[in-house]
Amino acid sequence: MLDERELATRPIVQESVQHNARTVSNIRALTASLFGVAAGTLGLESFPGFIFYAVGTAVVSVLIFAFKAESNPKAYFWRPLQDLWAGDMFGGLMSFVLTWTLLYNLAKA
Amino acid sequence: MAGAAEQQIHRDPALFYWILLPITVVMVLTGILRHYLSTLLQTAPKRLPLPKIREQRSLLRSANLRMNYAQISPAAFQKRREWWIESARDGKFLADPDARGKGKPNPMSDPAMMEGMMGMMKGNVAMMVPQSLIMGWINAFFSGYVIMKLPFPLTPQFKQMLQAGVGTRDLDVRWVSSLSWYFLTLFGLQPVYNFILGSNNAANQVTQQMAQSQVNPMGGAEDPEKIFNAEAENLEVVEHYYILDGVEDRLLERLQGTV
Repeated sequence: MLDERELATRPIVQESVQHNARTVSNIRALTASLFGVAAGTLGLESFPGFIFYAVGTAVVSVLIFAFKAESNPKAYFWRPLQDLWAGDMFGGLMSFVLTWTLLYNLAKA
Repeated sequence: MAGAAEQQIHRDPALFYWILLPITVVMVLTGILRHYLSTLLQTAPKRLPLPKIREQRSLLRSANLRMNYAQISPAAFQKRREWWIESARDGKFLADPDARGKGKPNPMSDPAMMEGMMGMMKGNVAMMVPQSLIMGWINAFFSGYVIMKLPFPLTPQFKQMLQAGVGTRDLDVRWVSSLSWYFLTLFGLQPVYNFILGSNNAANQVTQQMAQSQVNPMGGAEDPEKIFNAEAENLEVVEHYYILDGVEDRLLERLQGTV
């Protein structure tokens, strides 16, 4: 009940939430594809490739945190841990695998 | 096969120009086509008769009242709630007051229902036809040989699906035929569509299927009187508070830090 009142006095606007989530998701999708290009060109295989993706997304998270959220994620995300740090991590994975496979085969052929 | 020497297969570079590239281009174009097809096939919302609109809007009104009750004073809320519940109980909002108590209408007899189902069928057709067409196309033209090597290992269970038509028992699962490239593009092209068509596109059937599985196709077939009764009950149990209650305390609390 107290939480509900808190939300009523400091409302969360749905459009802004969606806009922020979409921004994060766009950044993630683009960078994931680029990481795939990099991993494929480097010729990474199996685990190193996925670790490369994890490290890359972590770096991107830090960049979003530092530049997009201006080190103050509470102002932009309701649940910063879920929406910023882990948001859409697996949405980008498929496009990472796609470009990784493509570039890996182009580079090795 | 997981032994010392890694399996090497020498592939013709032309495989990329004649298989990988065409499949990718076709997949992107099908996504765009699907997007425009679904926007074209979308039936415009039908004009409803006045009583039907009133019925829907009254329900909406109650829902809004239930969600935003904190914005109005207790007296105003009480008044609105009493009026709404009374009217709903009397059946003033119903589109067809004579049909009260007759129970659930048959969805097949209502032309509006039929139209809704037709719209869904069209959406399904727009999704299924390109998908099966491309699957058939790839199976007909590009099956029977491996074209690429995955950069990560898979379990042997995938062999059946990803090496369809190759038929070498000892080949590493990482060597896959063109069908697996189709699957990769199927799942991985969503960001590409996002950048081409904007984020609210209908290009990817995977996300669309997820969205569709959540809507109840027979949602509108309920008896309106039952819906109104349920809504009245929901409205009745709302425990009202006013957003301006204690506003001066909150203001002082906020100002305390700044002064």
